[in-house]
Amino acid sequence: MMIEHSSWTQRGLILATFVLGLVLALMPMSLGLAAWRPDWQILVLFYWLMAFPHRVSIGTAFILGIAVDVLLGTTFGIHAAAYSLVAYPVARHYQRIRHFSLLQQAALMGFLVAAERTLAFTVEHYLNNATLLSSYYWPVLSSALVWPWLYLLLRKIRRRFHLV
Amino acid sequence: MTPLFLRTISLRFRLTLALLLAFFLVLLDHRLSVMQPTRMVLNSIVSPVQYLATMPEEIYLRLSENVRSRFQMRQELSQLRNDMLDMQGEMQRYQFLVRENERLRNLLASDAREDSLRMVAEVIAVDSDSYSHQVVVNKGTAHGVFIGQPVLDDQGVVGQVSSVGLTTARILLISDQSHAIPTRSERSGIRVVVQGVGDTSMLEVMHVPHSTELEVGDLLLSSGLGGVFPEGYPVAVVKSIDLDISATFAKVTARPIANLDRIRMLLLVWQASSEQQPIFNPVQAVRERFSKTSSELEESVEHDD
Repeated sequence: MMIEHSSWTQRGLILATFVLGLVLALMPMSLGLAAWRPDWQILVLFYWLMAFPHRVSIGTAFILGIAVDVLLGTTFGIHAAAYSLVAYPVARHYQRIRHFSLLQQAALMGFLVAAERTLAFTVEHYLNNATLLSSYYWPVLSSALVWPWLYLLLRKIRRRFHLV
Repeated sequence: MTPLFLRTISLRFRLTLALLLAFFLVLLDHRLSVMQPTRMVLNSIVSPVQYLATMPEEIYLRLSENVRSRFQMRQELSQLRNDMLDMQGEMQRYQFLVRENERLRNLLASDAREDSLRMVAEVIAVDSDSYSHQVVVNKGTAHGVFIGQPVLDDQGVVGQVSSVGLTTARILLISDQSHAIPTRSERSGIRVVVQGVGDTSMLEVMHVPHSTELEVGDLLLSSGLGGVFPEGYPVAVVKSIDLDISATFAKVTARPIANLDRIRMLLLVWQASSEQQPIFNPVQAVRERFSKTSSELEESVEHDD
């Protein structure tokens, strides 16, 4: 009984943070600032991959990628593939990453966001002849910068709701 | 509590499956483009996220409007009244010109210009991807929006509708790298194609010969040749002309007339004679259609008798 209840709150909580991440990713901002917008949804994904590896895995990454594809109007499957690929190392080595210091984690997240962006861009370039602008990689830096704060916040939320 | 041996399917298998699925999706969507209906359904499903994303800004705007002082309101009101008078004066002149134009066109035995219908749409989401310049507006198939529909703002051409959901539509801006629009120079009548380069403040004028008569400051109007945009709306102003002989063509850049980086209110345009027509009151339209079909049903039943 107890376990079932907590599994439903778990799901609800995880879903809520994902929706919030997507909302933050879409929120209208002035263009100068928007170029620096961190990839919130991917950071949320990385956190849950580490916190609940038995519940959030590559399937979740895939679905999140599809949602991003729909919301951004990109060709279906581009972000889905990229998210699944960068989710793999995190899902595989979550125990090791959990023991990283926050700074090490931030560097890793920055690297993974850069990898995801490179993958998505490569496919986009092949399909639609997109050209690379340097501003495309600015969010890598901002994502790495917000990671420690996001990590602490999500951990606080998780502990508050007594999710193990 | 955490089960240790719960993972039954290996990670590598999951990844392979996800990648295969994604590959098929890309293939279906890009090469065969059979995903349009699916995209429409998914767009409608995720539209709450988009509405949620614009809520803070909307609340802020509403609040700031509420706390504005009486004095400011009165000032704005009188300003608007003045503008309105101005517009009405211009409008009378416009009506006169339209009639005169029609008469002249009749004399020349050429087709009359079509009227157009407009609907105001509000931008509810801007893409965070820097290589795709698209915005989402709060009007969809329920309002009669269709794919390929031209979109303007109060200054000039903004873009065209690239996909529609029930209550949302995605608009490809003229600054997107995959967008090009046929234009005509207002001064000299030269036809050129203006393409986006992924920068909201710059467009590229394609395939201009070195002997061009284009000049810096020339206004480029939509020529209506592509069949998407109606004729005669301002698109861009020529910003620079680089006559580098070593290149095949002159390098000409232009600045879009519409403020693409701060669009908020847009105009969707319908040609008066086209099949698609705007639906200004979707709820009523659905009700009417419903009552019409039910009355038709009743009639057919009566005929059967």
